[in-house]
Amino acid sequence: MSKVQQWFFNAFAPGTRRISFIVGMSVACFLFAFPVLWLILTSFRPEADIYYVYKGTDFTLDNFRQVLANDRASQAFLNSAVIATVATFFSILVTVSSGYMLSRFKGPIAKGWFGTIYALRCVPFVTWVLPLYFVEQRYGLYDTYLGLFLPHIAVHICFFSWLMKGFFDGIDPSMEQAALIDGCTRWGAFLRVALPSAIPAISALAVLSWLFSWNEFLFALILSGQHTPVTTVVMAQFVSEMGMQWNLMAATAVLALVPAFLLTLFGQKYVIRGLKI
Amino acid sequence: MKWKQTRRKLFGEQQRFVLTLVIPAAAILTFFQLIPIILGTSASFRDWMLYNPKKTWVGLSQYYKVLTDPEFLKIVLPNTFLFMICSVVISLVLGLILALALNRSFRAQKLVQTILLMPLMVAPVIAAIMMRWIFNDQFGIVNVVLEALGGEGQPWLVQRWSAFAVIVLTDVWLWTPWFALLLLAGLQSLPKEPFEAAEIDGTTAWRVFRHLTLPMLKPVIIVCIVIRSIDAFRTFDTVWALTGGGPARETELFSIYAYEQAFVFLDFAKGTAAAIIGALIILVVGLVMYRILDHARKVSS
Repeated sequence: MSKVQQWFFNAFAPGTRRISFIVGMSVACFLFAFPVLWLILTSFRPEADIYYVYKGTDFTLDNFRQVLANDRASQAFLNSAVIATVATFFSILVTVSSGYMLSRFKGPIAKGWFGTIYALRCVPFVTWVLPLYFVEQRYGLYDTYLGLFLPHIAVHICFFSWLMKGFFDGIDPSMEQAALIDGCTRWGAFLRVALPSAIPAISALAVLSWLFSWNEFLFALILSGQHTPVTTVVMAQFVSEMGMQWNLMAATAVLALVPAFLLTLFGQKYVIRGLKI
Repeated sequence: MKWKQTRRKLFGEQQRFVLTLVIPAAAILTFFQLIPIILGTSASFRDWMLYNPKKTWVGLSQYYKVLTDPEFLKIVLPNTFLFMICSVVISLVLGLILALALNRSFRAQKLVQTILLMPLMVAPVIAAIMMRWIFNDQFGIVNVVLEALGGEGQPWLVQRWSAFAVIVLTDVWLWTPWFALLLLAGLQSLPKEPFEAAEIDGTTAWRVFRHLTLPMLKPVIIVCIVIRSIDAFRTFDTVWALTGGGPARETELFSIYAYEQAFVFLDFAKGTAAAIIGALIILVVGLVMYRILDHARKVSS
């Protein structure tokens, strides 16, 4: 066994087994990229050729045109973007302060709060989303923007407060103490001293939060109806209720991937820097 | 005297500040998580069909119904745990390998990193529908390639274990980059000196990994396992979009079961009872994991 392991790690050593490293990485890249490439290819195929994606050379933009002309689908893109952006903004607002509190203060409130968010994070989504359906219907939140993005914030509170705590733990509090001694208020110490050094972590969380809301499915399935369709649900419907329209599904999915891809592309540097847990 | 002190401590200036920091978050959690959980718990003790919400108190009989349902005991629970273990272990191992590979500098490192992190941006639903298309029994590319190679195409999604394998594969595809990302961040924050010393001593790559990297990375690995296991337990999107729990409800996971009871079979009370049983199971698992995490942190620091 250890010989195999040794061989394996030598294979990754610089210089010696360069080829195997290159081959390994290429295979990995191919496997991770293939499904997305296949989806993109499918989205450009005309409806008639959809079942033979690998044959033929007809490509068309017709699928995209059809999706964008579909009122429900274009409305869904707008809704998803609004929900994801608003949810991200408010999530950051509340989780930064709650994470800061967890990191800087000890005592019963901090302990109780930490226990609460850890326990609530463990609770599976279905456990609270099934009854949330009734709560939202009762207060007129069902199928509204408010009713869709506020639960996302609840999800983020439980996770991001924890990540923010870890991040603030890594920042030396002596600067804030110095500011306090110099007559700064607690709010001033938090907002002017601690917050600026948390920018990398905040950008990382903003990227994660936006992607989560943009890609979320279960909440949207239960809490949205005719008025506020979102992309994930609309896309899933292309291959169920309205029959198997693989080409339209693929076009919708590709359109949904574009903003996420741009965000990941420009955001990954912040995410890697900000996510040292 | 002592009472006065505690009173001052509880309502002092610092305490007010602390409370202001958490109150917005606490309010949202209360309304959108705590109240639904309480309502759900209450519903699970009642007779509450969606088409006939009598809401009469029936005690533990909904729990009894779920716990004696052979579907829940023999299929849903084993599926959920098996899925959780397979998904977490495979994506952890692959993610670690990718993180180690990405942690070295080579040409095109940035490009490779961007490609490998691609699944992170793909919605689980998109990934699942994509896989459903790729593993389609008539037109899927996997079967086309298999047949071109002289093999036989499989009806992947209509046999229990192959469908289960496709579900795990989809999840591994989705979450390996997540592990790789967090482990890469962990690797990059490790101190350089021990590795330089090992290099001067001419230690083999395996020994460096086994005796330096792995122990130093252990806290990050454990955090990743804890977070991912809890998330894998409640997986819904992937299975819903891939198989819908089929064939014949054989790939149902716990979340799908609870959702179906409530919104497909319209037995809201049984659905919430199942959801609460799942929540209790994962709370216990989470608590045990938190202990392990805490212990590992103390040992490493």
